[in-house]
Amino acid sequence: MIRMLLRVLGPEYAPALRRTVILMTVTAAAEGLSYALLVPVLRALLGDTPADAGPWLAAFGTAVAGYAVLRYVSDLSGMRVGTTMLRGMYHRLGGHLARLPVGWYGAGRVGEVSVMAGQGLLQAMSIMAHLLAPFIAALVTPLTIVAVMLAFDWRLGLAALAAAPVVAAIQVRTARSTAAADAERHERDKEAAGRVVEFLQAQPVLRAGGRAGERFELLDGSLRELQRASRRTVLATLPGAVGLTFTVQAVFTGVLVLGAHLALGGGIGAAEVLTILVLAARCADPLLSLSDIGGKLRSARAELDRLDTVLRTEPLPEPREPVRPVRHDLEFASVTFRHGGRTVIDDLSVSVPQGQRLAVVGPSGAGKSTLLQLLARFHDVDAGAVRVGGVDVRAMSTEVLMAQIAVVFQDVYLFDGTIEENIRLGRPDASGAEVRAAASAARLEEVIGRLPGGWAANVGEGGALLSGGERQRVSIARALLKDAPVVLLDEVTSALDPVNEAAVHDGIERLMAGRTVVMVAHRMRTVRRADRVVFLDGGRIVEEGGHDELLRRGGRYAGFWEISAPAEADRAASA
Amino acid sequence: MPVRQATATGSVTATGPAATSDPATAAGPAAAAGSPAEQGMAGLLRPYAWSFAAVVLLQVIGAVAGLAPLLAVVELGRALLSPGPVDHGHVWSVVVAGAAGLFVRLVFTAASAGIGHVLDGRVQLAFRRRLAARLGHVPIGWFSRRRTGELAKVVGQDVSAVHPFIAHAPGELVSAFAVPLVSLVYLFAVDWRLTLITLIPVVLAVALVPLLMLPARTREQEEFDAAMGRIADSVVEFVQGIAVVKAFGGSGRAHRAFLTAADDFVGAFNRWVRGVSQVAAGMQLALSPPFVLLVVLAGGAALIATGGMAPADLLPFLLLGLGLTAPVAALGHGLDDMQAARRAVGRIKDVLAVRSLPEPAHPVAPRGHRVELRGVRFGYEAGREVLRGIDLMLEPGTVTAVVGPSGSGKSTLVRLLPRFFDPTHGSVLLGGADLRGIGSRDLYRTVSFVFQDVRLLRASVADNIALAVPYADRDDVVRAARLANIHDRILELPRGYETVIGEEAGLSGGEAQRISMARALLADTPVLVLDEATAFADPQTEQAVRRALATLEGDRTILVIAHRLETVADADTVVVLEDGEIVERGAPAELLARNGRFAAFWRSHRSALADETESRTESLAETESRTETESQIESRTEIETHDGVPRGDEAR
Repeated sequence: MIRMLLRVLGPEYAPALRRTVILMTVTAAAEGLSYALLVPVLRALLGDTPADAGPWLAAFGTAVAGYAVLRYVSDLSGMRVGTTMLRGMYHRLGGHLARLPVGWYGAGRVGEVSVMAGQGLLQAMSIMAHLLAPFIAALVTPLTIVAVMLAFDWRLGLAALAAAPVVAAIQVRTARSTAAADAERHERDKEAAGRVVEFLQAQPVLRAGGRAGERFELLDGSLRELQRASRRTVLATLPGAVGLTFTVQAVFTGVLVLGAHLALGGGIGAAEVLTILVLAARCADPLLSLSDIGGKLRSARAELDRLDTVLRTEPLPEPREPVRPVRHDLEFASVTFRHGGRTVIDDLSVSVPQGQRLAVVGPSGAGKSTLLQLLARFHDVDAGAVRVGGVDVRAMSTEVLMAQIAVVFQDVYLFDGTIEENIRLGRPDASGAEVRAAASAARLEEVIGRLPGGWAANVGEGGALLSGGERQRVSIARALLKDAPVVLLDEVTSALDPVNEAAVHDGIERLMAGRTVVMVAHRMRTVRRADRVVFLDGGRIVEEGGHDELLRRGGRYAGFWEISAPAEADRAASA
Repeated sequence: MPVRQATATGSVTATGPAATSDPATAAGPAAAAGSPAEQGMAGLLRPYAWSFAAVVLLQVIGAVAGLAPLLAVVELGRALLSPGPVDHGHVWSVVVAGAAGLFVRLVFTAASAGIGHVLDGRVQLAFRRRLAARLGHVPIGWFSRRRTGELAKVVGQDVSAVHPFIAHAPGELVSAFAVPLVSLVYLFAVDWRLTLITLIPVVLAVALVPLLMLPARTREQEEFDAAMGRIADSVVEFVQGIAVVKAFGGSGRAHRAFLTAADDFVGAFNRWVRGVSQVAAGMQLALSPPFVLLVVLAGGAALIATGGMAPADLLPFLLLGLGLTAPVAALGHGLDDMQAARRAVGRIKDVLAVRSLPEPAHPVAPRGHRVELRGVRFGYEAGREVLRGIDLMLEPGTVTAVVGPSGSGKSTLVRLLPRFFDPTHGSVLLGGADLRGIGSRDLYRTVSFVFQDVRLLRASVADNIALAVPYADRDDVVRAARLANIHDRILELPRGYETVIGEEAGLSGGEAQRISMARALLADTPVLVLDEATAFADPQTEQAVRRALATLEGDRTILVIAHRLETVADADTVVVLEDGEIVERGAPAELLARNGRFAAFWRSHRSALADETESRTESLAETESRTETESQIESRTEIETHDGVPRGDEAR
């Protein structure tokens, strides 16, 4: 557990963590040892000479004061170290997330990472602040007390010690048996969460079918499964908890019986037996809390596991001696790329001379957007090479590669800030005039004019206060401002009304002027602007050539566009 | 006995008297008189009242029985310390009684924990079902204002967070007070003076509690919560914007924003901890066993020396005195969890309290399917109207196209027909009846829609298409799929129509939209609402939408947010929406002739479209078989010269 904590935290926290753990252990041992003084105190008080208790009581008082100081220092230190580590953890996680390849950020990651960085981290760190000290105390204090008991009477001490191996075995066993149940429950949790999302998103359709009233079987099934899984978790935990309680109680009873037997036989003084029984009772309480603390520790550990998994995901390797390209032509050389067990790009070769435009056309799922992502090195290829200016993208530093490329994505994400801030992201040191020029070239002025607050208007999280077309225009302005020699366009054409579409196309036209361009095109109008077209299907180039040439050839490409023709033809013919 | 259920979100202990969630209170008549949500919670818990009582009773018996072995030690002490010969029989019966007490404790607390957790599972299922049922009835428009993830969290994590209230709180809380109470009575009977002394640590700890409730502490707690919220926001931004961040060089901004939020949070956390930690550590110390023992021993020594207390009477205080601290400890620890659970309950109640669009008491059946909007006004929030007085008649057998700039209220307007929202003023009539007076089943049998945001279920393709018509024939499903231009693609899937989407195969956005088209076509309702933007995912989807519009002629009432010039030209009526008002309406030709807003829109659209059409014409003109298209272009030219617009029915 500590080892995992250290790995997740990084080595710089090891000394502080070790100090705190040692402090907690010493504190717990001090508690146990202080009880040793109870024996002479009680011997005096319960015996014939209560007055003799005075000095021993003073000694016990001193021991308790010592314990108090230790406890106070260790409590505060636990909390302080906990917060320091929390800060370190956030920085470590933040830095790591920034280095992970964009390809890692799939659909489900947003939820996963935000839970992890929010409550998850806090919970993992609560090990330090709240759980470690009680856990150490629950183990160390009883052991110290047993040692004290052994010193006073080896028979009763041994009887108490008998609990140790059983308790240890139960802890290990419970951890193992609950791990499986916990994992299953976690799975079911995820499954049910997915079904809930589905259920919510399908509401309009479900209601249309008049099915809102009845229980939606897909969801209800997963909820029932979840209940079953949580029942299994209980069943997995219960034997351990009952076993632990039984063991502790049985041993206590054993000590009680043995103590009574020894006292009756006169083998030991009454005061000693009673003191040892008081000590045994002191052992039992912390041990009984073990199953409680153990459960909490296990779930904090699960959180720690998840953090560890993310932190151990390797970012794309950076070259040791980065190369800077001088030209801006692009090349895919026998590129193969697999993702999620599927070959997305299959031995594909194509090149774009500097200043030329390549349009990528093809059915959904052909791998069009992936081509752009490989150029921007969101993923690394499995075979072959992607080159910019003749240099493998893997041989460039991320900064240099990104400086070559401006991307307009299909789904534009805007940061919660003003429009100006979002455009300026393209080139943080741009002058106000340059930002405005880019905005005007992307025909953003009318949008800005419409918004209350104009330039200073907030766009909301993810740009929610702007429409799709407006967001697109902001992202074009951003790319214009960046003024990079290579432009990658993932054409967005859904969600655009004609007015927006015209504006977006204007902006795109300006963006492409004089640059090397690769564009994923869905509309013929965009393709017309390209020097060359590749038709992609199943990660391979099926056809390649000029737009007109390909249309004349009457192959897949022509078929793809002509789909829209017959309906028009019918209508025209009947008119 | 604390059996702990390790949940994914972390197992939490809550041991506080939270009025709203303490089942004893929630199930009581007082709560039942409250809001519908409270009634919901109380109603949910009422069937389990007896089980809850059993959990509490078993736990209390077990916990009190747990005192038996301690009392056995006390009795053993009295027997051994009493002058004269020791009564062996008495000693052994005391030992047996102690062992029996332990056994009772083991059995009863195990039973209580077991029942409690099983009960917890049942209650959670009931909560989730209740939430699902509620979510199945809230206005669809309500969803658009919320993130699905957030709602999923309510159904998932928030219900789980209630776990401690149900599984732990009743038993543990009651025993945390019952056991000390019994001990206290016993101790008072033994020696009232030492009892008072034994209570000193408890009093000390309680005296520190107000220090935790100072305004400064509360403020720090609030800052802490706010900082936590900012972290969550910045993480979402960080992750969602990662592609942008990376592509625009130096992950600087978002990364920094995250780190700033994190530092703020740690700062707030630190201040909070610093404010609380010394007091908390002080409380811990006051309640710690060595300190309590020291107080008891010091008091006991004094009383034995001066007050003539029997030495044997010291024993019960050493053994039971420590237990007196339990309630304070219970109150102190788990406060966070309790608050977290209370917040979770609050969110659950919020969802349960959302009112559904009222169902009519006496549903009216629509006569025909003419749709009429009368003086419709609508705003998502007060003071900001999106629709500002819409009067519109949609005749059966006609296509009405809505055009207008983004933000003009088009999407909102069309969403009133399937009653995603109710208008704030005015009314929407279907077949002469107000939508609010039509039963939802009738309504959805009449109106179907295809919007952009399509989500498919993780179920077979066939089930996905037949979602709205659960008992549809396979032939009908296939026919709808063919019409929606998705049949061939389905056959390419590993198991055709039986392929489970999301598990065995994924579909692209355009393909998903075509499935959604197929759904609407299968539902075959007389009123269809369509957002044409859907079509632009890819040419195949575009064709599907166009084919659907062409096929669905006859008596249907069709309302479409038009994106393509052809659709606008083919529509019977065009409505130009601007800033929530209809600024122009009429047949396309009429509007062009009027040379107003629509004409301007048309020209801007045409110029945007010109080169595409050109490109198509040029390329196609060279292929001889395609000359018909030119006549289409010509007919479009006619539009521009205002000679006449091909009406939809003429063109067909």
